Amino acid sequence: MSTTTLDAPAGRKPSPGVTVKKVSFGRLLRSEWIKLWSLRSTWWTLGSTVVVLVGTALMIAAAAVFVAGQDADGGGGEAGQLFPASMVVTVGYQFGALVVAVLGSMVITGEYSTGMIRSTFTVAPHRLGAYTAKATVLAAVTAVLVAVAVGLSWLTTYPLLKPHGITVDWSDADQLRPLYGVVLYVVLVALFAIGIGTLIRHTAGAIFTMVAVFLVIPLPFGIASQFPGAPAWVVEINKFLPSVAGSAITGSGGDSVAAGGPEILEPWVGMGVLAAYTAALLIAGGISLKTRDA
Amino acid sequence: MIEAHGLAKRYGSKTAVDHVTFTVQPGRVTGFLGPNGAGKSTTMRMIMGLDKPTAGTVTVNGRPYAKLARPLAEVGALLEAKAVHSGRSAFNHLRALAATHAIPTQRVLDVIELTGLESVAKKRVGGFSLGMGQRLGIAAALLGDPQTLILDEPVNGLDPEGVIWVRNLAKHLASEGRTVFLSSHLMSEVALTADHVIVIGRGRILADTSVEDLIAASERKHVRVRSPQAGDLAALLKEKDAQVTAPEADVLEVTGPDAASVGELAAAGRIVLHELTPIQSTLEEAYMSLTADAVEYRSENLSDDAGAEPADLAAAAVGAHLTDPSTTAPAAGRPATGTAPATSSQEVSDR
Repeated sequence: MSTTTLDAPAGRKPSPGVTVKKVSFGRLLRSEWIKLWSLRSTWWTLGSTVVVLVGTALMIAAAAVFVAGQDADGGGGEAGQLFPASMVVTVGYQFGALVVAVLGSMVITGEYSTGMIRSTFTVAPHRLGAYTAKATVLAAVTAVLVAVAVGLSWLTTYPLLKPHGITVDWSDADQLRPLYGVVLYVVLVALFAIGIGTLIRHTAGAIFTMVAVFLVIPLPFGIASQFPGAPAWVVEINKFLPSVAGSAITGSGGDSVAAGGPEILEPWVGMGVLAAYTAALLIAGGISLKTRDA
Repeated sequence: MIEAHGLAKRYGSKTAVDHVTFTVQPGRVTGFLGPNGAGKSTTMRMIMGLDKPTAGTVTVNGRPYAKLARPLAEVGALLEAKAVHSGRSAFNHLRALAATHAIPTQRVLDVIELTGLESVAKKRVGGFSLGMGQRLGIAAALLGDPQTLILDEPVNGLDPEGVIWVRNLAKHLASEGRTVFLSSHLMSEVALTADHVIVIGRGRILADTSVEDLIAASERKHVRVRSPQAGDLAALLKEKDAQVTAPEADVLEVTGPDAASVGELAAAGRIVLHELTPIQSTLEEAYMSLTADAVEYRSENLSDDAGAEPADLAAAAVGAHLTDPSTTAPAAGRPATGTAPATSSQEVSDR
């Protein structure tokens, strides 16, 4: 080949002092954990999720207290029916889910838009390991956070509601389901957002899509399907929308229609539908991540 | 060691890398030289498994990058400045990368110190200058104490002190037996840092040779003579075994004897000279002409003959150093290739 050959030591130089171990899923989790908490956006999105959840719970609790006061004058006990304690405690979850959707999108689009994704794939060339670790860390953090927020909501509203007899009946499965149901719901929305973010790669585009799917599209369908004469297909589409299907976990199927609302799926069927959408998006995201150039 | 075989990358109808084959050997700094858009970065991204080749294979230490169990220990790469989340601090960025390989925090602190980033390590990367971003990229590349280093335009944006630091670092790492593959669009930079050079243009390898040989080929001198009796002088010179070409009427370009000899020969033959100019092409010119056909983004030529002079030199360099017959294509279209390679093979002490 070339005439200039330096004294090329063929042997590999041992490098004392630097221990480098194999990439493993546990190490990828640790890396994603450091990544998540070393960004300011994580702190303010997660912080505002708690504030939104607890804040709305307090507002609704105040409203419940007001209505209960009116009831006391009239001698009725409607406040407890209008504002069941499990609803008061979880009432802000849709807003919380939106904030977490923003975080979920940014966890991945932030890497694409800054170029960080190339560093990530350089240290974890299998890609899917890093992707799974990212989703796992976000899901775990979101779950703990929403559970804590629901707990805080219960704690802070309890002194307000207790005097009016509005309390969670811990022996009633229908009252407990919304409490952990919203945790599941928000976690699935966060994962849904990771899937969308991985497919779209742009922060603005991913957040726009999340807002469209979870906030904008359900609005007209929700309104239209409440009319008695609504076409069947509108009602059908409505109950299979990700947000409507997932939210079914907070009700008990027939309640909605009984209360004059649109027809919705059974709680666990609805949660299953949202989980299926999320799984499909995560898989599509994984395929895109694995096959497309970074 | 990096081995690319028939490596190609096409984006739609545009071919970025066109079936290149090369080997980057350990123990020396290999420069990867080419104009902007020549395919350097794409090639490097393919080595790192970030872009999928359209055809061909590339391995690092004998295995495809994606199959490495401890990639940071095998390869460290600076692929572009700021492959870093702008909202994270330099320290946390390195810590997150190190965590994937269970590299201790002490090593993170060591590379921060080594790259001179101590004072800004806790600051968010978004506020970094280009030079600091480069240093951070190099710090990340060094984290796993890798056997192979891939540095894409490492001196971009560095101050003079930083440039010298990178040069010394590259040489030092190579002297330890590591493979160092460093890209640049500056010939002078590669000449100062590298031992070996691979020249790429329009996705094809134009030369794969030692820097010494490239310099030797490019430093070939010739003499420009203008004379109303150019024909007579040409005849005299040819008797002395000089290579003579006539780019225009009354002008000769003489290769072989120096200006003094040409002048003396003319005087002895009673030939009038109007001009006698020794012309020495620089390394930059050799590189310019080597890649002249391969420049993707050409700026307008301000002087008429700047590019014309060393054309045959470059062709000579190509002729002498070709490693792959398929790469003759870019050289073939150039004027004066007919005579030039013959001369160069005498002058370039070749293998």
